[in-house]
Amino acid sequence: MAEYWGIKVEDIFNTMQERFRPEGAQGVTASYGYDIAGEGKWKVTVYNGTLAAVERVDGITGCVATMSADGETFVGVNTGKVDATNAFMGGKVKVEGDMGAFGKTGRMFRKFVIAKKEMSTREYIEDMFGTIVSRFKPEEAEDVDASFAYDLGGPDGGTWTVSVKDKKCTIATTIEGNPTVTLEFNDAKDYVDFILGKIDAQTLLAAGKGSAKGDINLIQTKWPVMFEKYKDPMGGAVPEQELLVLKKIISVNQKYATGPVMGRFLKGLKDKKIYGNRCPKCGRIQLPPREMCAECRVRVSEFVEVGPKGEVRYMDVVYYALPDPLTGVARETPYGSIMILLDGCKGNETLPHFIRKDQIEKIEMGWNEKKGTRVRPVWEEKRAGDIWDIKYFEIDE
Amino acid sequence: MSKRIAVCAVAQVKNEPEYAHMRFQNMLLECFEPIMEQTGVTFDMERGIRNIITCSDDVFDARTISDNGVTDVVGAHFRGEEKMAQESINGLGYAMACILSGHDDVILFMGHCKESQGESRRMATNLACDPFYCRPVGMDFQNVDALQAREYMEKSGVTEEHLAKIVVRSRKNAKKNPYARENRQVDEKEVMNSPMYADPLRELHVYPVTDWAYGILLCCEERVKEFTKKPVWLTGYGSCMDRYFIGDRDLCSNFSLKQAAQRAYARAGIKDPRKDVQLFELSDHAAYQLPMWAEGVGIADEGKGGKWIDDGGMEKFNVNLSGGHLNGNPLLLGGAARAIECYYQLSGQAGDRQVKGVKRAVAQAATGGAGQHQAVIVMEA
Amino acid sequence: MAHRKKNRNVGIIGVGQTKHSSHREDVNQPEMIYEAVSLALQDANLTMNDVDCVVHGNMELFEMIHQPDMWHMLGTGAYGKDSIRITTGGTSGATISCAADNLVASGMYDIVMAIGFEKLQEGHTTAGITNMADPLWFRKIQAGALTGSSAYDVSREFGLERANRVSLTYRIIMDKHACLNPNAHRAFGLDFSQIDDLIKSSPKLVGDLKLIEMCSQSDGACAVIYASEKKAKELSRRPVWVRDHIAIHKEEIFTIFGYNRAFPVTKSHKFAAEQLFKRNDIKDPLNYFDVFEMYDPASWWAIDWLRDFFDLKGDEHLRLIEDKEVMIGGKLPINPSGGVIASNPIGATALVRVAEAALQVRGGAGDHQIPTPVNHALASGFGGTMWTVLTMLEKELNW
Repeated sequence: MAEYWGIKVEDIFNTMQERFRPEGAQGVTASYGYDIAGEGKWKVTVYNGTLAAVERVDGITGCVATMSADGETFVGVNTGKVDATNAFMGGKVKVEGDMGAFGKTGRMFRKFVIAKKEMSTREYIEDMFGTIVSRFKPEEAEDVDASFAYDLGGPDGGTWTVSVKDKKCTIATTIEGNPTVTLEFNDAKDYVDFILGKIDAQTLLAAGKGSAKGDINLIQTKWPVMFEKYKDPMGGAVPEQELLVLKKIISVNQKYATGPVMGRFLKGLKDKKIYGNRCPKCGRIQLPPREMCAECRVRVSEFVEVGPKGEVRYMDVVYYALPDPLTGVARETPYGSIMILLDGCKGNETLPHFIRKDQIEKIEMGWNEKKGTRVRPVWEEKRAGDIWDIKYFEIDE
Repeated sequence: MSKRIAVCAVAQVKNEPEYAHMRFQNMLLECFEPIMEQTGVTFDMERGIRNIITCSDDVFDARTISDNGVTDVVGAHFRGEEKMAQESINGLGYAMACILSGHDDVILFMGHCKESQGESRRMATNLACDPFYCRPVGMDFQNVDALQAREYMEKSGVTEEHLAKIVVRSRKNAKKNPYARENRQVDEKEVMNSPMYADPLRELHVYPVTDWAYGILLCCEERVKEFTKKPVWLTGYGSCMDRYFIGDRDLCSNFSLKQAAQRAYARAGIKDPRKDVQLFELSDHAAYQLPMWAEGVGIADEGKGGKWIDDGGMEKFNVNLSGGHLNGNPLLLGGAARAIECYYQLSGQAGDRQVKGVKRAVAQAATGGAGQHQAVIVMEA
Repeated sequence: MAHRKKNRNVGIIGVGQTKHSSHREDVNQPEMIYEAVSLALQDANLTMNDVDCVVHGNMELFEMIHQPDMWHMLGTGAYGKDSIRITTGGTSGATISCAADNLVASGMYDIVMAIGFEKLQEGHTTAGITNMADPLWFRKIQAGALTGSSAYDVSREFGLERANRVSLTYRIIMDKHACLNPNAHRAFGLDFSQIDDLIKSSPKLVGDLKLIEMCSQSDGACAVIYASEKKAKELSRRPVWVRDHIAIHKEEIFTIFGYNRAFPVTKSHKFAAEQLFKRNDIKDPLNYFDVFEMYDPASWWAIDWLRDFFDLKGDEHLRLIEDKEVMIGGKLPINPSGGVIASNPIGATALVRVAEAALQVRGGAGDHQIPTPVNHALASGFGGTMWTVLTMLEKELNW
């Protein structure tokens, strides 16, 4: 849809509900048609003094009067940019049907107000930080003792520290000491866009335009509760519908049968043994064992004990805080996810597991004839027949 | 339709309340091996199986991309695999398309479901509802089915006694089916006194929780001799989607089933199902559905389901001699179970259940609450 | 009998996709699907009455909806139609495209609409992907689709510095493409001068895989309409013909980490491409195709996979990127749409590849249209444990 003075034809219709003046529609029951060339047709129904419906229609029927105009004229008339009388006289607006009835619509709606000239980044920054204390909700800040530092770059940037303690909020234009969280934006404009919801945090982080240090969880979870959301003073002309989002955690308890093959592997772990199974055709060892060799499409039933020591062939250092799907709790990062070629295995017959956290730096990966770091499993005292019966692997010195 | 699709072989494990000693991979392997042995089919890129259709469900498996767990045991390593994430009967329709399109000569179609694995199948089917309205008010397939049951029973003169009769018959028939879930035999009185689940559906009116897996090998007409001497032909398929909100639907109009059946019949050249088809396998998740679907596929007069039962319609049209879904199949796999029974009957392998002179059979199955999505296939000897 | 000739030809006559975004709180799932469906119908100048069958696909557990086509019918338009639902993980979109192609070619339906969809903001994507692993053991270890193994592979072979630069060059080309595509989710306006800076500043996810190099998590839907040759010619001035497709899956777990040259691993992308090109008698795919819409979940994977798809030797794949031959205007433009790194509504993603490739062949891609003629297009899908689906599109019915 085309825009005229930054406004679309549908904006005019979509805001009719908010702009409706019941005092201007007393005793009126009628439908009005609008045929806006190239944009579509609408039908506005007033019933007994209330605005009953504003609907987009394929054809206009059952209306006391129908107005037709092009988009520019229509938007212009509704926003005061185009003189309505001139437009009508000049034939740019046509009305079919009961002209007098249509005339009444002028009193039924407030004028559509175009937002005033855009605010500058500097004005926004001043307004955003200027309203923080007034947006603070002390009742939500029980037991919070934290400082949130902002370091915004660019010509409109600056530094701020918002401190919350004893259910009080203060703001300073310096960053001192060791803030609980520090948010850095290379350009203050990105911060403004972020607060206005025009850009999301992940995009900024991905593009390297911002960073967050310290207790990020606190600012993600507590800040939105402690402070009222910033309201864009420019957003007033067209009130937005509140978008409700339903949040749910869904869980259905499961009991997974392990079967004779995976069950054997898990039972082995209980006894501090690692079992693979060997394909009768190609001889490869599957680890953990699987029912069938996918390559040869034959059942595999010969179990072989391998390891428990082996060498690292590959390691992923994971920095991304992944929530454990079984618990929902984010894993502590970084951690090392390793592929181990256990003794007795060859080629690609590796087993994935984790390396002891403090040994990530020391791991060397194997390659062709080059051996990787030798590792051994560290077993849990109490074992349940679970992959975590091996706590992790550690360097075998 | 100029060409027919051959069903060359089937294999299945027994329907059981719970396969506690096997994971679904084991169950599928038990079906995979007999198919390979019976047919000698290979996975050769030129002449063998290039594409496998599977049927399983992420929610019942509690596993994202549930077909990832079956790649090995359906032979899909370095071959194609496509998961029918809907009632299994549609997998047969899709297999038909794969072969008729010329893209594939041979299709292996395998499916599994372990309903016993989850805490409650009703929690699973509640998730099929929108999260905003139908879920919070507690709708699931069973509750929606109950609403349909009440309305249908009113419309078609189906009584508690009729439902009891259907349940007793289902269990009797299933006793002759070696792959059927082994259920206790019951009498009408016990059915009518069984606990009320969702009025008017009682415990024994509803199929029991079941684990099952199967495999079916299909191929194009030209190559059927390579795999079997006794093919059964798949000659028609049709499906249809009804509206979602039950308030938008006429719950006992059988809209989607009538459409699906007409489409399948048209493809197979069936003019009058009462004359042209000798056996019907209908997916009755609950007892009331047997006469209702019978109306939908055109073997009972509309609104006369009760009378149809009294007049011996179930025997006259050879409906659900396998025991039906009611005796126990996993929710999503009823259609494959129905088709496999048709295969046994049409190839003369139905043992004690065998009906003489069956030339044509129809299998039906539904997805969703109150049969929102329906599909029908036609098979011929 | 080898792969047969198609029973009848199938043309793509309509394409619709939503804007891909992480902010679609303004629509629920069926409403979002409805947007793509309406656009596709509009594009084909059809109404829902013309469609015989609807194919629906996405991954249930991302949004936790069981049998989602039941609820989604409010947006898919499937009421009263034949409809089936097929999924295969990340390749779902490509698989439903194959299915639609098969359904039309079979003669069973004249017009079929494939609908791919995902609303990733309504679940946790990485946890969702992790849930695909065997619950008995690997689910406790896996980190979604994140791995630095491709970065390790390429770096070990060509040196970390060159590898990093090629990866970022590819990433910035994709961003430049995305900036031309109004439907793209992430379009930053990056420039090649930022390569060194981004290598240093972009946060690491796993190993040398950086945040800037990984795909987005998007909400989005895509609908594509397929018609029989007769119908396509009647209804469309510029149908795009589906020549062939192939799906190749791989065993349940990744066993590619042995890193021992005595035990080479067959790669599914390479195998699929070889098979497809062989049976269609394409001897020099790099020259044959005019555009490639690749399912590129991360720039490292893209640069590595390029070699597999086109059987490139030595460092040819890296040179194609360094010389910007994969950019619009180059020898083989890849993802003029910005690709998966820019927009990734998973269940729709692989269908978007087919849709974008079709738009290029048709000459209807708008600002991201390749300026030179596009007669032959290739689209790929990726998912599961290295699964591949490839689809070949043609401008003329002359093969």
